[in-house]
Amino acid sequence: MTDQSLRANNPSTIATGLNLKEHAQTVRRKLVPLAWTCASLGLFVAIWEFSWWQGWANPLLLPPPHIFLSNLPEQFRFFDPTGGRAGALSEGGSIWSVLGVIGWSALRVTLGLSLGFVMSLIVGVAIRYFNIFGKLVLPLVTMMAPISPVAWIPVAVFMFGIGNPPAVFLVFIAIFFVMVLATLSQIDAVPPHFIQLARIMGASKRQIYMQVILPAILPGLFVTLRMNLFAAWMVVLIAEAVGVGSGLGQVTMMARNTFNSSLVFFTMTLIGITGFAFDQALGLIQRKILWWIGPSSIGRI
Amino acid sequence: MTLGLSISNVTKTWNPDGSSPTPAVRNLTLDVNLGEFVVLLGPSGCGKSSLLYMVAGLEEATSGSITFDGLEITQPSPERSLIFQEAALFPWLSVRDNVGFGLQIKGITQTKRRQKVDDLLKLVGLAGAGDKRPHELSGGMRQRAALARALAMDPKVLLMDEPFAALDIQTRARMQDHLLRIWRETGASVLLVTHSIDEALALADRIIVFTSRPGQIKAEIKIDQPRPRDLHSPEMVDLARRCDALLAEEVNKAFAEQELL
Repeated sequence: MTDQSLRANNPSTIATGLNLKEHAQTVRRKLVPLAWTCASLGLFVAIWEFSWWQGWANPLLLPPPHIFLSNLPEQFRFFDPTGGRAGALSEGGSIWSVLGVIGWSALRVTLGLSLGFVMSLIVGVAIRYFNIFGKLVLPLVTMMAPISPVAWIPVAVFMFGIGNPPAVFLVFIAIFFVMVLATLSQIDAVPPHFIQLARIMGASKRQIYMQVILPAILPGLFVTLRMNLFAAWMVVLIAEAVGVGSGLGQVTMMARNTFNSSLVFFTMTLIGITGFAFDQALGLIQRKILWWIGPSSIGRI
Repeated sequence: MTLGLSISNVTKTWNPDGSSPTPAVRNLTLDVNLGEFVVLLGPSGCGKSSLLYMVAGLEEATSGSITFDGLEITQPSPERSLIFQEAALFPWLSVRDNVGFGLQIKGITQTKRRQKVDDLLKLVGLAGAGDKRPHELSGGMRQRAALARALAMDPKVLLMDEPFAALDIQTRARMQDHLLRIWRETGASVLLVTHSIDEALALADRIIVFTSRPGQIKAEIKIDQPRPRDLHSPEMVDLARRCDALLAEEVNKAFAEQELL
């Protein structure tokens, strides 16, 4: 029943109905997107399960969700935050070890993203602020930007060895150059009136950068950061698979090596959920702190 | 030394060394006395905004000189404040912080700013809106906040680039009343660019009619009528006809030129 028919049928609710109606609208605003998310996911799972049921999908290679999600403790055994190798099942087995593994990957992503965001902001602003620095650095940045983070893996290992630093470095590299270029385009897109106005008010170059350009570019940069979040997740998984020896990437690689397809899909599920949660968290930060630009459309349902 | 604004023999050419130099203003001479309200009236793209930007010190004249109180204008200054068509308020600051922006740049502390800013907000009729964000204001309120921001620096000249063009007609009339009251209270000169004849007639001590590009002075019309003016009185209707005829000539000329291209 729609609101209108409700009101038409029962006029007595109008007086008290206003608050209720508002409340109902809030609830609906939150529930409707959630319902669509479930429908989207449900459709995908249904097709998969149906294929299995029809015998099209080999359960050994493409086990449907009800198989790889059925025996959680069995799956949990493979998760060891310290990076236990295939077959070494002594430590793992609890939900905490799973969370630990996720936590390590998330930490590497967070560190790399934060470093990348801050450094790219500093370098990008410096390129525009200091003329000579800009002329020297910009061509280099433009040439480095298209190099895939995968190509940086050996460099990361040469420079940092094995462990956390190369993984953080790779996430950093994955977003740094792109974000420097994004910073430049954001600076160039600051409305000229803002800068003219600050000049009329007597602002120095430094004041214009700190008080006008910086706040004007931050929301747009944050949107770019959010878009690059997924790239950062992809990179951290590759780094973990190759050179770190722990984290979700390592579990995936181990699952591949031991031909454990259930574990592959279980880990992929975890990666998807974690990435989604990260995007939502960044969206929340964007809305709370950098509210002066409308919410971006990325990942909004 | 002449007090007030003195524009003498100013020419502005955009892209002077490039392949297609565009003359915006040619050999223009104009004085604006202290406390005078001068309106620049002309077809769009006639270079009147270019002139305003040069007076603000944001653009350099290609030749000729602009002086203010006898001093050559070489850079922007808060005493020659410019108001744009869109308010250009900073979306990340509250209305109060926007109005106090220039004072804060000057290094005046928060507590000292507060009193002045609140007085100004009252002056422009935004007393209750200090804590609001710009996007919560209507177009007219935003433009009044921009006006308050300019006034905070005690400008000697207010340069206004079609300040009310984006507003609806009713809001426009109210804003013009506001502006006249503020102009009288502050004693600042006003140089206002518009393409609306009614606006020019309602506001100006003197209307400068521009030719189409490159902008030159086509006619100068003095209005002695006391304000608020009844635009339907015979004298004003007469003046409106005159302005209309002058502008129509220029618009026709501009159209003819465009057809040649």
